[in-house]
Amino acid sequence: MSDVAATMDLRRRDAADKLRGRTRYTMDRYLPGMLHAAVLRASVPSGRIVRLDISPAARLPGVRAIVTAADAPGMTGIGIADHPLFARDVIRYDGEPIAAVAANTLAQAQAALAAIEVEIEPLPAALTMADALAPEAPLVHPNWRDYEVLLEGGAREGNVAWEATVVRGDVDAAFARPDVEIVESSFRVGRQNHVAFEPRAVVASYEDGRFHIETSTQVPWGIRNATARLLGVPPSQVRVTVPPVGGGFGLKFDLAIEPFAALLARASGRPVRLVNSREEEMLTCLFRENADIRIRSAVTHEGEIVGREAVVLMDCGAYGGEQIFLTTMTAHTLGGNYRLGSVRLVSRAVYTNTAPNGAFRCCNGVYNTFALERHTDEIAARIGMDPLAFRRLNVLGDGDLGATGQVFEADVLRPMLDRMDTLRDSAAPPPALRDGRLYGRATTVGTWFVFVGPSAATVNMNADGTATLVTSGVEIGSGSMVQSLPQIVASTLGIPPETVIVRAADTDAAGYDVGVGGGRTTVSLGAASLSAAQEVRTKLLKVASEMIEAAPEDLVMRHGRIEIAGAPGSGRTVAEVATYAQARNGPVSGTGAFTGAGVPAMPGCVAGHFIDAIDIPVFAVHDCEVAVDPETGHVEVLNYRVVQDVGRALNPRAIHGQIQGGVVQGLGYALHEEVTIGSNGRVCQSGFETYRVPLALDVVPVEISLYEGAPSMGPLGTKGAGEVPILNVGAAIACAVANATGKRIQELPLTPPRVLELLLDRKPDLALPHIAEAWADNLVRPHKAAQGNM
Amino acid sequence: MALSLTVNGDHLASTADPTTPLVDILREELHLTGAKPVCREGFCGACMVLIDGTPRPSCLTPAALADGCEIRTVEGLATQGQLNRIQAALDTSDAVQCGMCFPGMVVSLTHLLATTPDAVREDIRAALTGNICRCTGYERIIDATLLALATK
Repeated sequence: MSDVAATMDLRRRDAADKLRGRTRYTMDRYLPGMLHAAVLRASVPSGRIVRLDISPAARLPGVRAIVTAADAPGMTGIGIADHPLFARDVIRYDGEPIAAVAANTLAQAQAALAAIEVEIEPLPAALTMADALAPEAPLVHPNWRDYEVLLEGGAREGNVAWEATVVRGDVDAAFARPDVEIVESSFRVGRQNHVAFEPRAVVASYEDGRFHIETSTQVPWGIRNATARLLGVPPSQVRVTVPPVGGGFGLKFDLAIEPFAALLARASGRPVRLVNSREEEMLTCLFRENADIRIRSAVTHEGEIVGREAVVLMDCGAYGGEQIFLTTMTAHTLGGNYRLGSVRLVSRAVYTNTAPNGAFRCCNGVYNTFALERHTDEIAARIGMDPLAFRRLNVLGDGDLGATGQVFEADVLRPMLDRMDTLRDSAAPPPALRDGRLYGRATTVGTWFVFVGPSAATVNMNADGTATLVTSGVEIGSGSMVQSLPQIVASTLGIPPETVIVRAADTDAAGYDVGVGGGRTTVSLGAASLSAAQEVRTKLLKVASEMIEAAPEDLVMRHGRIEIAGAPGSGRTVAEVATYAQARNGPVSGTGAFTGAGVPAMPGCVAGHFIDAIDIPVFAVHDCEVAVDPETGHVEVLNYRVVQDVGRALNPRAIHGQIQGGVVQGLGYALHEEVTIGSNGRVCQSGFETYRVPLALDVVPVEISLYEGAPSMGPLGTKGAGEVPILNVGAAIACAVANATGKRIQELPLTPPRVLELLLDRKPDLALPHIAEAWADNLVRPHKAAQGNM
Repeated sequence: MALSLTVNGDHLASTADPTTPLVDILREELHLTGAKPVCREGFCGACMVLIDGTPRPSCLTPAALADGCEIRTVEGLATQGQLNRIQAALDTSDAVQCGMCFPGMVVSLTHLLATTPDAVREDIRAALTGNICRCTGYERIIDATLLALATK
């Protein structure tokens, strides 16, 4: 293990160039002879391509290549390969790509798009999940049965792209008990746009029979593999490298526009740059999905939750994508936080004729936590118990069973609630509102996880005493690649973190990696890096022991030296040992690999899940105070507090930065970031004017307490810290606004018009007629009948 | 007729159409990619440059309107390789995340430091109205500005 404490507020090595405007993101790259590309997109939500003629466009000046569906034979997806690169015959959403053009200038490429002749016969569209689940609804994928299944186990039928279920215990018996109150709540949330400041961008070239894709992504290996599938080439013919990424938040956790540029580069023989316009980003970003949720619980008057059932409908848009995976997460988010005597949950990813949705920081968790925590407050109110006391009584503790029957380790949430009490009680009480505004406060809890999975790392020890870390990790802004990873390697080798060189992601240089997301960078890439560094350390210590004539176990690596423990200044410098080792045995390097251990669930509990149990749970407790203006419906956040389970904080200052930023993104989601879809199937918010992200005047400084010591298999006891801060913001704000107004909050965002409607009692109770009354009637396949086969 | 631009002290000519957004000339002709065309509608502030000392969104500035003016981009703010006061404070405070908004932030805050040396927290928040950040939640940028104001 490491001799040097890894905890420090290491500064970012990339900050100075970012502050000077020198950093070249993908959108800033410029290669000699580079062409500019643009994509022709459908302007109807559903239709049949009757005619497509690119020849008039091909004759225009400057046009070098045009590619269409004929150039991309493959299909890709998560769970099911349902997604072609270009619309083939059928249009399934407004904005779906039809053709791509490369030309000498962007203006020429755009002129060529306008010259492509395309005739589309409109077809009936299902724009909402209610439309899609109606009897006789038009099928978004009439041939859904024919798709290649990439993971067995999910139930599918018609517009239900994927269905995952959890059943543990006898829920019917729990609901039939004479001593319980049945509490039912319904919720609806809209989409959220990431608004990553760097749009999806790519520069592709075709060299020596291979594609080189330079792209703004979180998943270099995902891009490599999906591009190869779509283009029908071996994955080894695709190389992906990643410059600094200008914001991800999950947007770049999936394939985007890379294959267009790759195809155009091959067709033209020139490098091709393709950058989404902001409008394209607004209309076709892989949004956090809209969802409809119904929860029912059977709770005793003493506050025991004996049964819970829920139906969660997730809009995946025209293609399954991330939502198919995310059906898994309901078990761990909506099914999280609390001990449940029995539980049954169904999560359904539903096809609609709208832009596909995707991953966004704490995907699924944000709205399920909102729903769960509002439901929890409704339960507490019904049985006349203090909501905080109810939470303290029921939060998961050591040895408790989660929804899927996994056994949770250690008491974490309860001491975190205590920590929040201390934080709140030590703060000055807010001044009484004397302006007629309504005051509300709430404390909410949340459960998230670390998306473990395969990562690889190599550490090359250089003769000058520096080390080079080679991984497929990407720096998306969170700092993991420039702070925690070099800290881990440096602490293992006893060298300054500034002397650990971090290689930018290149699939030709580093081994497979799932990607940067799901809070996994410090954990998975960190574990692989730690293991690689430990191999280097072992080799160096062996050589040093010969040089110093001391046993390796008596040696320590610290302050750039390998020396005898307890005798500072003895021994040799790391550089001397590395130089000697290189001359004697050849250069020193180490490799490391990591993947999750796979915590067991209870047999038979889950069907259609990608992850049955969570290897590393992450918990969060949020508390906020709000003032609601009864005249305008405006909600002001007075203060905000976070207690976050981080395992061990390697860089507390960097984590604080992630929490402040994540909470503010959550405030946008809770209060004013709203995406709506018009009757034409198009997203109505096309830019910053209509999509309102938080500004400097909207935010408050978040008061933060990092909770350390919860068990984690992460390196040095770490957990992911950058993803989770957004988790319970929607929940905390909604509960506080409900407490301030005395109204039932069922929808987000809480825009002034929506709050005003509530205050004036003009908002009818939310009805979700497309969720069947009886839980089992919502399933396309009974939970137990067909487990593991289709 | 060619446009005559002075960018970070260099005198340059451009034959671009006079209505071309200044940001495109800076980025595509001069390869000064510090200014980021994030929204192209003047909301986000990531393309902010100083034109005769005043911060302007270069996406909404037709090149002809900058003809003959003194243009300073984020690349021209660090003199002799040294970060200026606000850049140094943002670096010290670990304020930077993805970094895309910072070129514009630095331009706006450099102007604030020069023109409002006695700015308080509320002035800084108000001054950032035209600069959006999606990563940081702003507080550390505000703290860094206070730090920069205190280090004269």
